[in-house]
Amino acid sequence: MERQHLVIIGNGMATSRLLDELHSRDANAYQVTVFGDEPGGAYNRIQLSPLLAGNTDRKSIQLKSSLWYKNHGIRLYSNDAIIAIDREQQTVVSQNGLRCRYDQLILATGSRPAKIPAGNQALAGIFDFRTEQDVERILNRSAQSRDALVIGGGLLGLEAADALASKGLNVTLVHRGDWLMNRQLDPQAGELLRAELAQRGIRFVLGDEISHFEGLEQLTGAKLKSGRRLDAQLAIIATGITPNSALARSAGLDCGRGLQVDDLLRSSDERISALGECIEHRGRTFGLVAPIWEQARLLADRLVRGLATPYRDAPVPTKLKVSGINLFSAGEYLDAPQLQSLTLCDSQSGSYRKLLVRDNRLVGAVLYGDVQDGQWYFELMQRQQALGDLLPQLIFGRACCLDDNPDVPDTTATAITQEIAV
Amino acid sequence: MTHNTESSTLTTCPYCGVGCGVEARSLDNRLIAVSGDTSHPANSGRLCVKGSALHETAGTEGRLLYPQIQGQRVNWDTALDKVADTFARLIDQHGPDSVAFYLSGQILTEDYYVANKLMKGFIGSGNVDTNSRLCMSSAVAGQKRAFGSDTVPACYDDLDQADLVLLTGSNAAWAHPILYQRLARAKQARPQMQVVVLDPRRTATCDLADRHLALKPGTDAFLFNGLLSYLAREDALDHAYIDAHCEGFDAALAQAQRQCPDLITTAAHCGLEPADVQWLFERFARTERSLTFYSQGINQSSSGTDKANAIINCHLATGRVGKPGASPFSITGQPNAMGGREVGGLANQLAAHMEFDNPKHLETVAEFWQAPRLATTPGLKAVDLFQAIERGEVKAVWIMGTNPAVSLPDSAQVRRALQQCELVVVSDCVEHTDTTALADVLLPATTWAEKDGTVTNSERRISRQRGFLQAPGEARHDWQILCDVATRLGFGDAFAYRHPADIFQEHARLSGYRNQGSRDFDISALAELSRAQYDALAPIQWPVTETRPEGTARMFADGRFFTPTGRARLLPIEARLPAGQREDGDFVLNTGRSRDQWHTMTRTARSPRLLDHCDEPYVEISQRDAQRLRIRGGDLVSLAALNAEYIGRARISNQQQTGSVFAPIHWNDRYASHGCVDALVAAVTDPVSGQPELKQSPVRLLGLRPRWQGMLLSLDSIDTPASDYWSRVTLAQGERYALAGFTERPDWSDWARSWLPASADLIEMLDSHANHYRAAAFRDGRLLWVFMASCDAELPPPAWLATQLGRTLNSKERMQLLSGRASEGAPDQGAIICSCFQVGEKRIRQAMKGGATSVESLGKVLSCGTNCGSCIPELRALIEHA
Repeated sequence: MERQHLVIIGNGMATSRLLDELHSRDANAYQVTVFGDEPGGAYNRIQLSPLLAGNTDRKSIQLKSSLWYKNHGIRLYSNDAIIAIDREQQTVVSQNGLRCRYDQLILATGSRPAKIPAGNQALAGIFDFRTEQDVERILNRSAQSRDALVIGGGLLGLEAADALASKGLNVTLVHRGDWLMNRQLDPQAGELLRAELAQRGIRFVLGDEISHFEGLEQLTGAKLKSGRRLDAQLAIIATGITPNSALARSAGLDCGRGLQVDDLLRSSDERISALGECIEHRGRTFGLVAPIWEQARLLADRLVRGLATPYRDAPVPTKLKVSGINLFSAGEYLDAPQLQSLTLCDSQSGSYRKLLVRDNRLVGAVLYGDVQDGQWYFELMQRQQALGDLLPQLIFGRACCLDDNPDVPDTTATAITQEIAV
Repeated sequence: MTHNTESSTLTTCPYCGVGCGVEARSLDNRLIAVSGDTSHPANSGRLCVKGSALHETAGTEGRLLYPQIQGQRVNWDTALDKVADTFARLIDQHGPDSVAFYLSGQILTEDYYVANKLMKGFIGSGNVDTNSRLCMSSAVAGQKRAFGSDTVPACYDDLDQADLVLLTGSNAAWAHPILYQRLARAKQARPQMQVVVLDPRRTATCDLADRHLALKPGTDAFLFNGLLSYLAREDALDHAYIDAHCEGFDAALAQAQRQCPDLITTAAHCGLEPADVQWLFERFARTERSLTFYSQGINQSSSGTDKANAIINCHLATGRVGKPGASPFSITGQPNAMGGREVGGLANQLAAHMEFDNPKHLETVAEFWQAPRLATTPGLKAVDLFQAIERGEVKAVWIMGTNPAVSLPDSAQVRRALQQCELVVVSDCVEHTDTTALADVLLPATTWAEKDGTVTNSERRISRQRGFLQAPGEARHDWQILCDVATRLGFGDAFAYRHPADIFQEHARLSGYRNQGSRDFDISALAELSRAQYDALAPIQWPVTETRPEGTARMFADGRFFTPTGRARLLPIEARLPAGQREDGDFVLNTGRSRDQWHTMTRTARSPRLLDHCDEPYVEISQRDAQRLRIRGGDLVSLAALNAEYIGRARISNQQQTGSVFAPIHWNDRYASHGCVDALVAAVTDPVSGQPELKQSPVRLLGLRPRWQGMLLSLDSIDTPASDYWSRVTLAQGERYALAGFTERPDWSDWARSWLPASADLIEMLDSHANHYRAAAFRDGRLLWVFMASCDAELPPPAWLATQLGRTLNSKERMQLLSGRASEGAPDQGAIICSCFQVGEKRIRQAMKGGATSVESLGKVLSCGTNCGSCIPELRALIEHA
């Protein structure tokens, strides 16, 4: 009997993970075809910043070589985007004119950089920071630039700024928020981060936005809403991501901010499923890998084994290493009148911790510097553990609390057990 | 003089009245170790915890090193001129009684002798008194009334030989540990020995006792009156002895019978079970070798002298005085209380056990000293003296080696007196005490380990104290300072001593001068000691005379006493209750020593080890009272009386009677905000001895509910912490403070910065609800202080934090520091490689050693690299470079 045909649109990290999950269950369950709009096999997009900084190379960040797809009997069409889905014919149509029939279709089209409302964005020298090709173009431009502008004070913008600064450029980062990473960090941690990166030579303009870019063909600078003007021959826009749902939308699938999927990750067409940054599940979109890995696992279970385990969106702590600085943030992170906050701050070494407590329960943690206890705090939040006398000691971490509190969950012990079970 | 080899010196311990021999080893002018002197009869090589820690208290930190006038350093001449000129002017204008000396049972016999000679013989006033007044003056008065002399009949050997030992008003286990242990060994060797403790408290001493009779506070004289009356009823008296050697028996017995006609009445007076009283009385009646060992619990009373005589009455009536294992035995608190008495160091003594009321004695002393204006009437006793100072009658006082602002009753009055006194001279070895704070002139004195002389212990044994360290700064010996002032007053010829041996010789000569057996104190056989012989003097018990050159173990075995008739006197004693009026709800405050502290802590608080035993002022409370007042162990409680307040930690104790509390005497303004317990004690004294009633004062007890409690460890000493309550403890490095606030919770961060040593390098833990605050400060990277406060949770134990003071911490240790505990529990796993699973380099290297040598296998073991995969290049690099 001929195998069912599984077509996957998009060849990013979600697809790479899904292929591994499918293959680990049954290599021959489907005839698999993958379309990707970038050249070559999947690579680790998270490693683009080290690639920009020159701390790694393209080979090292490759997740799957062309040979891998061949060896695993997967047809890969790279550098070729799908432009239409014919749901009645169960067929997809590529930019290059390829038509391909599917029994099951997976959309893993990812996301694209968010737009900013600045004028004059078509000038040469203004880049997104999303793909290997972006990195290549930025590197070419940086060789002939003195001043660089990075727009966006989130993780990606900071990584880009640090990478450019390490190449000797004068880097100014412009961020709309009042402090860096204002979606993950509280003002104090954001300020510590700013101070540390400022020591590496990066300048920061906070609470401001680009009004318009300046230059004729080539970028020469930017005017800010505050009226301030900055020289720049190179600009990177890294203000966030937007799900890529245009293709789905044009195919008539239900879309909100992203392609809407149910708990089994099915779109409004039951032959079409989706995962990753392109989807919207119960109103939520995704940007971190952990939930996407979970989606890949459940999707593979359903496609191969027929298991219908619903996807549940679990809270995820943000564990980041920004340019070598460790950060952790989970749950609430801003002070509020009804919250009790405990902070521990070492002005000298720039270490910082904040815990937020409501009704004697931990509801948020922000760690800067030493983040080893992050997972444990996250666990306490999940368990809704009553804190009691533990409170003043809690901020010093697991080891300090375990010594004389046998009731406190020792999550590392659990983790070790799990590791052994693997 | 430089010491560069280790040397060993035999000397005497400076603490209690047991007078143990100590072998001190020093190197490079530092005391490095102490051990018991095996050749000393008082202790045969044993030392208690305080004595064994002497080397930890001998540092020069905190010493008074230079003379000061009004806090300004001056040279010796200026300081001595100031003292002598002021004394001379005041004596000239207001007479000799306008000046006074207040001495200490800590200074040596030679110092005492010179002070007494100067004041009584040359200035012409009896105003020499001493802190021994607070310790054993009632025992002295009792002995003088009974024996006609201030004579302790017994010796320590009697502890080994007694068949019944009554310990009354004595917590020997803590206050005289070496004697207690000797008793314990004796009892072990001779299990038939019975030990009975009479004490309202169930003290540590009771561990040894066959029976503890927890009598009502202050009722000891009722019990001994009851005993005398019982002995008469049961025909257990030694009538032959009474007839041959005593007088006053009939009156004494009649009075005892009137007050305590039978067991039931006696037991009722004392709050005891009649059966227990009967048991005790029967024992005493039939045990020839009965020893009554008594101390401050008897003496520190408004009827202390009567209590002493009530005890002695029973011993005289049974002929049990000065016989092996059978005597009344008063044990003194201080190392040289008896030495001070020998020279006349109390205001109501003249010199060498001679008395003001004996014209022959006055003549003898005047002649011997060639004294131009010998005082002929007694001077002011301690409490009276400080009251006279406040009234302006005494205008200059010279305090030597003691801390009356803490140790006298009604310390607020004492402080008022000193504040308004025209000239307060304090010679001391310690710079900052509650008393030196009130001084106009400070004179730096040498201390134990630096000075030479003699002390006399509780069994009349004279021992040499030998100096082996150089005096620091410009410190001088007390006798030298006194001679310098005497010379400036124009008495140079009579005070031209060049060495303590010169003084001792003169003292010994005076003791034998015109004596011929008429006075108990006679050490004339030692009057011709050469300086070398003096230095080599072995411990010896007085009297030491031509006929008894080896000294005298026991006195009065022959039944001859020093009264005019040669007979011992029994006194009719009307037992009285403590003077303090208790109102409804008042508690009886008992005060005393804690095991490992000494007096006002100037020495013992320098040893962290000695503070381990108890490190804060405390109040012992009975279980029932604590329950009633909802006080838990460790709670702060307040004792209040006389407009003064004492604050300490509650110790719920089954040692304490309901309605009674106990508080230690040691703490003071230097070591606690409200630690001066004697401030609660009214200045009520025994009419005969002048000894204040420090044992049974009415106080109000209140459990405190602090708004917050905290602790501070600091390298720098903080003069006055900015909290409502504080107490201080010395650490090996730096100091530790317990703190509490009773009113508003402060605005922590600003408040801490306002009084703690300033530093820009701070770690802070803040709580938006302000229930907790913790902070640490660093100076040049070294931990300067740690402060922790909490409104509702317990603070971490301080021991580990204390070890961190002065250390340079790495960034991880800095973040752990405020947890208050070692962070060994949190394995340092090195730089985080995998952020997703928080896996550090050290853990990865460990796993690699364990065989995980690929990215995949590391992922299986540690999960690293299995989430976002960003760390895989680093993992690979680690594997490649392994």
